[in-house]
Amino acid sequence: MIRFDNVYKTYKTGSDALSGVSFKVEDGEFVFVIGKSGSGKSTLIKLMTREEKPTEGTVYIDRFPISHMSRTLIPVLRRHVGMIFQDFRLIESKNVFENVAFAGEIVGMPKKRLMQTVDIVLSVVGLRGKASSLPQELSGGEQQRVAIARAMVNDPKLILADEPTGNLDPTTSEAIMALLEEINRNGTTVLICTHDSNLVDRMKKRVIEISNGRIVRDEKDSGYSVFGDLSAEAEAQL
Amino acid sequence: MSFRAFTNSVREGLTGILRHPLVTIASISTILLMLLIMSAFVVFSADARYIMKNIGQQPPIEVYMKLNGTEDERAAVTAYLDSDTEHVVYYKMATPEENYNEFKANLGSSSSILDDFDYNQYLPYTFQIQLADPSYADEVVMHLEAVPGVNKVMQERQVMVFLTQATKWVNIGTAGAFCILLLISLFIISNMVRISVYSRSAEISIMKYIGATNTYIRLPFVIEGALVGLFSAVCAWGITCFAYGKVYSIFMSKIDASSFYALLPMSSLSKIVIIVCAVCGVMIGGFGSGVSVRKYTEV
Repeated sequence: MIRFDNVYKTYKTGSDALSGVSFKVEDGEFVFVIGKSGSGKSTLIKLMTREEKPTEGTVYIDRFPISHMSRTLIPVLRRHVGMIFQDFRLIESKNVFENVAFAGEIVGMPKKRLMQTVDIVLSVVGLRGKASSLPQELSGGEQQRVAIARAMVNDPKLILADEPTGNLDPTTSEAIMALLEEINRNGTTVLICTHDSNLVDRMKKRVIEISNGRIVRDEKDSGYSVFGDLSAEAEAQL
Repeated sequence: MSFRAFTNSVREGLTGILRHPLVTIASISTILLMLLIMSAFVVFSADARYIMKNIGQQPPIEVYMKLNGTEDERAAVTAYLDSDTEHVVYYKMATPEENYNEFKANLGSSSSILDDFDYNQYLPYTFQIQLADPSYADEVVMHLEAVPGVNKVMQERQVMVFLTQATKWVNIGTAGAFCILLLISLFIISNMVRISVYSRSAEISIMKYIGATNTYIRLPFVIEGALVGLFSAVCAWGITCFAYGKVYSIFMSKIDASSFYALLPMSSLSKIVIIVCAVCGVMIGGFGSGVSVRKYTEV
């Protein structure tokens, strides 16, 4: 589903965000990308949505080399990739139903089918009863559920989430992760960039750790730290 | 873009007009002001061209036949003038007797001194010619001089040159001022709309992230701008018609409608003013908005 081939990214300011990153994510996998702030996690996501182009190397999504694709095809790529952000990015002037339906309207989905699809995804995320609420009337967790519903409308093969639980309390974070896991169980590949060590440790999924723009760890059924349950303080001392 | 996506854009465009009423009012006022200036210029230049045309069509060309000219020679001149409908809009032949009577009339109370004048011996047949445009004078004069029996072709050359030049400069001035006004309007309106677009920049970036094309994002703004432009155009047209109607009735109350200096009636100008206003209004509004959105679609 995702393939990075010796990818380098240097920004115009001269800072190296990624240096020779190579990895592969198979269809239907659930992957956490972890690392400190500035390690290159967000750049990784930006390269997968073609917000940025690699300086060197190639990024493939579904075997298609997106790093060399024409600008006119970028919207097509983004319609097949569901995006979830830390700050939810919902349109404040639209209600829950409209926010979710918007992703389908963009691709010209027939009205009847769109209504049914939105109804289904809102049921999946448990917000069917709040379809007419505005985003500002919802809690953080509910807003993130709306964002997940929006990401699901076009039935994407891949969902990319950048710190999806960053603004949420632990209980809500658990619920959001459970939802993403459920989506993954239905065959959608999920890649999550996160700082949330508790969630990563508890879920025991594949973990790719990035440090200074390089992959320093890529393990299946792993946790946030190679030291398992040791605290960050203990890790620092070691 | 699918039909459904297009209708969504139209709906969004209409919603956008109501979403920011103050920005909409400001945009309408700005475009309206520009269109009023443009309309005033269109009306002024149309009147200027009309007056030039009227003056240019007065008989500045006179053909004098030879004194002993034959009927056939006069028929040859008539035949040429009849055939050249592209350049000649009107001509009139005057017999020696008609010329004599006119000459006598010009003398007023002293006309009796011509009572015994043998006009058939001293006055020729003449033709007075009106041209469609003063710039055709040289060509028509050249043709007439080549007709047998023509003694002399008189033309007010300096008047002709002046009229040709004046018409040319009025046309150039109109086109130039039109372009400058259009550019100023585009600049002002694109900055005006930028405020509205800026307030929706977050929404635009979200649209980009979920796969909207630039056209899909831009279209509602373009439609919104074009509708605002169209509304401004209708207002500008109404105000121009009303104001010009007042000016026309005041100005024309003192002069004859067939005079050289008569203005064009509003009924002749109404169509061109609404076309210019509508085209410019829609273009300024639509294009100005489209340009403003461009910056925010680069995600």
